[in-house]
Amino acid sequence: MTTFTYRAVLRLYPPDHRIWFGAEMQSVFEEAALEHRGRGSIAYARFLLAEYAALAGGAAIAWAAKLAGRAYVHQPQPATQTALLPGEVQEAQDRLNVSLNGLLHAISHHEFLKARVYAAEEQKAREDLRLLREKYNIAE
Amino acid sequence: MRHVAEQPDATNSKPLTEPVLLILMSLASQPRHGYALMKDIETLSNGRVRLSTGTLYGALRRLLDDLWIERFEQEDTSRDKQAYRLTYEGRRQLQLELERLKQLTKVGIARLRLSEAQS
Repeated sequence: MTTFTYRAVLRLYPPDHRIWFGAEMQSVFEEAALEHRGRGSIAYARFLLAEYAALAGGAAIAWAAKLAGRAYVHQPQPATQTALLPGEVQEAQDRLNVSLNGLLHAISHHEFLKARVYAAEEQKAREDLRLLREKYNIAE
Repeated sequence: MRHVAEQPDATNSKPLTEPVLLILMSLASQPRHGYALMKDIETLSNGRVRLSTGTLYGALRRLLDDLWIERFEQEDTSRDKQAYRLTYEGRRQLQLELERLKQLTKVGIARLRLSEAQS
């Protein structure tokens, strides 16, 4: 139930943030929730309230940063082309698109340090996607 | 053309927010993933600061954007447990901030002593 609620509040974030950090955030939340559950119901309720409030606040800040053009990752390609792919393949495709967009954006703005970071992410995302395509027997 | 290395200048650096400072301090000793960061920050602050996931990942995102930290591949962890480590620039910014705090503490203590001597 708490994970379901967390996932629902997480949807307030911009999509690119969810692609990059969503799974990690949920995993960290679950570990922390497990720990706080053992500290009594009041401590657990306080933990949940703090988490959901910070999550909603964080989403507002992430949107503000995105609208101000300070976003770390850039809008992925529309998902229409990939809508029929299995979930993890689609996610890998989104990661690749995000890395590629970031790489192009960084190069066009002469931010070569950033471009190197995006290039490494793009390479990893491409390899992940290749392995997943193999796993599901999906042609390029 | 002569290149002059930029010297760290604590007086010109912009103060860091507490979550950012604690994250950088936590990563100064070793790379950590999200939950390990959260726990270490609680320990570093003697239990005073417990970062929520929203605050933690908001700060991590900004730090990645500024290239003060980077994602770090660890073979023994899953993708949900992505580790982070300080970059050279992140370490430099942490040093600047600690220097700034040291100077501030020195001035604060001097002022306190002065007021105690006058009373």
